Amino acid sequence: MRTEQSGDGFWAGARDILPLAAGVSVYGLAFGLLAAQAGFSPLQIGAMGALVYAGSSQIIMSQQWLAGAGFAGSVVAGLILNLRLLLITASLRDVFAGRPWWQTAFGAHLAADENWALLLAGRARGRRVGYAYLIGGGLAQMAAWCGSTTAGGLFAEAIPDPRGLGIDFAFTAAFIAIARSLWRGRSDLLPWFVSVAVVFAGVKLAGAPAHWMLALGGLIGAATAGARA
Amino acid sequence: MDEHWLLIAALAAGTLSIRLAGAWAGQAIPAHGPLARALDALPGCLIVALVATSMLTGGWREWAAGAIAAAAAVATRSVPATMAVGIAAIWALRHMV
Repeated sequence: MRTEQSGDGFWAGARDILPLAAGVSVYGLAFGLLAAQAGFSPLQIGAMGALVYAGSSQIIMSQQWLAGAGFAGSVVAGLILNLRLLLITASLRDVFAGRPWWQTAFGAHLAADENWALLLAGRARGRRVGYAYLIGGGLAQMAAWCGSTTAGGLFAEAIPDPRGLGIDFAFTAAFIAIARSLWRGRSDLLPWFVSVAVVFAGVKLAGAPAHWMLALGGLIGAATAGARA
Repeated sequence: MDEHWLLIAALAAGTLSIRLAGAWAGQAIPAHGPLARALDALPGCLIVALVATSMLTGGWREWAAGAIAAAAAVATRSVPATMAVGIAAIWALRHMV
């Protein structure tokens, strides 16, 4: 089993995710308000964060439920948004290799966009980050998510508007920085171009939903890299 | 048990199934060959697709702030610094331009 150096373990994961968790908390407050309107109690809102731990799908499910989409319609809308998590946990195979099933399951449950991307960006820069780093980031962000969503449900008034503060763009900026770290050289140019082109063509020309095109763009870009000898 | 607990249970069970299926598929893919190369390229492709979907909903202000953030990413190679520059840029563009 791999051991991480001090500075690349659990607490490093928790520390590195703090700026992202702060942004997540602003969304958490706004989501708590939405979830309360959709009829979830504060206890249920907090439990949902820990049990589901996929914020955008929780938002879509609550929105759809509030809009009268029904039980299956609301759940399926949320799950479609989570299809990218299949690709995320698949790409963590080095992190899970040789671990008992329960550690793999726990790590997979805690894998979110943010701690996954930070782990890969750290590795691309030569840091020895692994399972403990993923868990540290995942638990720290889960605490921020559950705390802020529950607070949003309890104190439904005076919720700041994420867009007005520019927090909505914080995640785009974070992922731009992480993409910079993941850049491995010119061999990435074609697959990345294909990914972006598929997203743009699907959404702008074919009018396909963005969350479907996100997963499809990532897959087709990766297939381009795989097909090259 | 009220409907809201059932909604939570269904979304939680479905999401965990997706995550476990991915972890299993990752272990099942051979260490070399086309599938391994594709899996190695997947994180970067998924991240740029993620950036592309969020830029799609934006106007010229978001594109300008994205370019500024990209320049900050190249210059600093730091996630928090790029976030700070990106937030400052989009705030200034939305409130002052």
